[in-house]
Amino acid sequence: MGVFILYPFVSTVVNAFTDRRTLIPGEFVGLANFRELLHDEMFWIGLRNSTLYVVGVVPALVLLPLLLALLVQKNIPGIAFFRSAFYTPVVASIVVVGLIWVWLLDERGLVNSLLETVGVGRVGFLSDQWLLLLSAMTVTVWKGLGYYMIIYLAALANVPRELHEAAAVDGAGAVRRFLTVTVPAVRSTMVLVGALSSVAAFKVFSEVYLMAGPDGGPAGEDTTLVMLVQRTGTGLTGRVGYASAISVVVFVVTVALMLLVLRADRKEDA
Amino acid sequence: MRIPRRALAAAVVALVLPLSACGSGSDDSGSTDASGKVEGDITFQTWNLRANFKPYFEGLVADFEKKYPGTHVKWVDQPAEGYADKISADAAGGTLPDVVNVSPDLVAPLAKAGLALDLDKAAAKYKKEYLPGAWASHEIPGMEGTYAFPWYLNTGPLFYNKSLFKEAGLDASKPPKTYDELFDSALELADKSDGEVATLANVPTIEDFGRYGVELMNEEGTGFAFNDAKGVELLTKYKELFDAKALDPQALTATPESSGKKFLTGAVAMNPGSALDLGNFKKQAPNLYKNIGITDQITSTGKVNMYVMGVMVNARTKQKPAAVAFAHFVTDAQNQMSFAKKVAIFPSTAGSLDDPYFTEQDGTDETRVRIAAAKSLTNAVNYTPVLFSEQMKTELRNNVAKALQGKSSPKEALDNAVKACDRLLRQQG
Repeated sequence: MGVFILYPFVSTVVNAFTDRRTLIPGEFVGLANFRELLHDEMFWIGLRNSTLYVVGVVPALVLLPLLLALLVQKNIPGIAFFRSAFYTPVVASIVVVGLIWVWLLDERGLVNSLLETVGVGRVGFLSDQWLLLLSAMTVTVWKGLGYYMIIYLAALANVPRELHEAAAVDGAGAVRRFLTVTVPAVRSTMVLVGALSSVAAFKVFSEVYLMAGPDGGPAGEDTTLVMLVQRTGTGLTGRVGYASAISVVVFVVTVALMLLVLRADRKEDA
Repeated sequence: MRIPRRALAAAVVALVLPLSACGSGSDDSGSTDASGKVEGDITFQTWNLRANFKPYFEGLVADFEKKYPGTHVKWVDQPAEGYADKISADAAGGTLPDVVNVSPDLVAPLAKAGLALDLDKAAAKYKKEYLPGAWASHEIPGMEGTYAFPWYLNTGPLFYNKSLFKEAGLDASKPPKTYDELFDSALELADKSDGEVATLANVPTIEDFGRYGVELMNEEGTGFAFNDAKGVELLTKYKELFDAKALDPQALTATPESSGKKFLTGAVAMNPGSALDLGNFKKQAPNLYKNIGITDQITSTGKVNMYVMGVMVNARTKQKPAAVAFAHFVTDAQNQMSFAKKVAIFPSTAGSLDDPYFTEQDGTDETRVRIAAAKSLTNAVNYTPVLFSEQMKTELRNNVAKALQGKSSPKEALDNAVKACDRLLRQQG
């Protein structure tokens, strides 16, 4: 714990206040790195994209897996196949998955061919900065569905069947039963999923890196904060001190995000 | 409380992982004296060569150990991906191998950190064995000395798809030879194909600016200068190509691999390459291979671009005589020639390019490309400045992309790129 988590963590925080580079030990520079962040255009782009990722991905990852879990929860013949199928993207390598999506969304890929066939014309999924970000979000949601579905399935198994039956007897339809029985029963799980997915979304790296390329899309406009840490702090000329400062910001925002989710949960409890 | 603890731990790991490989170094460079008995154990690291050349390197090591009894060479190979990061981690952790395969841009920070042996002092007697330009390719502006033995060189022609040229009504037997011809052909091809076929797949790199005749750095090597009128002219031309779809719309996020694939699939009409690519065309795109056109790299300077590989000696090796002897052994004329016959690379040793292997035609395309490349290497230039780091390349690409998207003018984009690169140069120390 100390060697693998505490030391690197403390070291990162200390480095954030130095001008250390990969091969050159740094000197204490106070808050200079954080002041530089304020004027670094790429930092603000990274913060914007990471925040957008949370806003776009978290609601989808809280709701869609729940609906999917409700669907595969039913005891229908052959449903086990669908449960496994929905979980497959979770175990697939993100690199492989990313490359497949790149092929699909390429200018001459399958999706664009289909769009062309139906007369929509080609769409620049991998050349437009916003579509690129949206495509990466889609992959994140698609890949995460199965994982959160399993968590919801465990929670749904604990919802007493009698509650549903009583509600049905009272004349509640499927939607009403979902809102008044299912959602309250799995609310704490939804908070957990919200917390886990917002942390994961804010520190997204692989999906955007694979789809937008190492530069972070056209003119770096799709760069996320963790991509910026990687780009700035690695390599022989890496600015370890500055990258550490960005990492500290990522940490602070991540903790703040979780506190926000928990606070919202407590408010509802009250 | 279970949720925040788990999530906090995840956040901490996420925070530290990207940086956990980074460490510190020091500037203790040690002595440059490499005289003494060649003996002891050394480690030699190559860059993604084991998969295809294992027998060659095992033979090389065995020959060296036979020549110098009492030596033992441990050969390690690292994958291409993340090679610079692996060297960074080793350098920072004090575990850099004794002899390391490097490129000039990797040598520069290592030399500045005192980790690369100055061969002008430690191995001056070997200097005359190499082509002067190749030996100089591992000199670092602002520092005295040369910090790696030159190893193999590479350059290549420009491939073009003859059938795409013909379909657009262009004369496939007369490919563009100058930049003006290239830009005209590209615009015509895009126009005739309604934007379906682009001629180029990549945004201009620092090498392209160099080939176009742009002054890349000031004479002292203390600042970049590619924002001059010639640089702006080149970027303005590229903007015109991008708007006309003569430059692939996905060029802003392209990598050499993705553009190679586009050329293979006929989405792009021209692509730079080497003799090695001919085999790929044959195997992966036989139809393209039947229609492949080969022409010289286009330059305004008359000097083509070349890539240089080097072999560096760790300045802190405990076996300096053996490490220097082995680095020289790997790069001597005989071994470079032997390696060049296994793969499409070119020796950096003086006189090797006069070998009949690089001068006599045998009627095959591979030999034609090899001979043309060897001929062009006599005055080739490694245009990429050794101080041009990965971060600088990113700055240039991003600013070029802004100009192509019309978010800034070519002049503003290059001014910003130069400003950012100068700042990074100062921060490198």
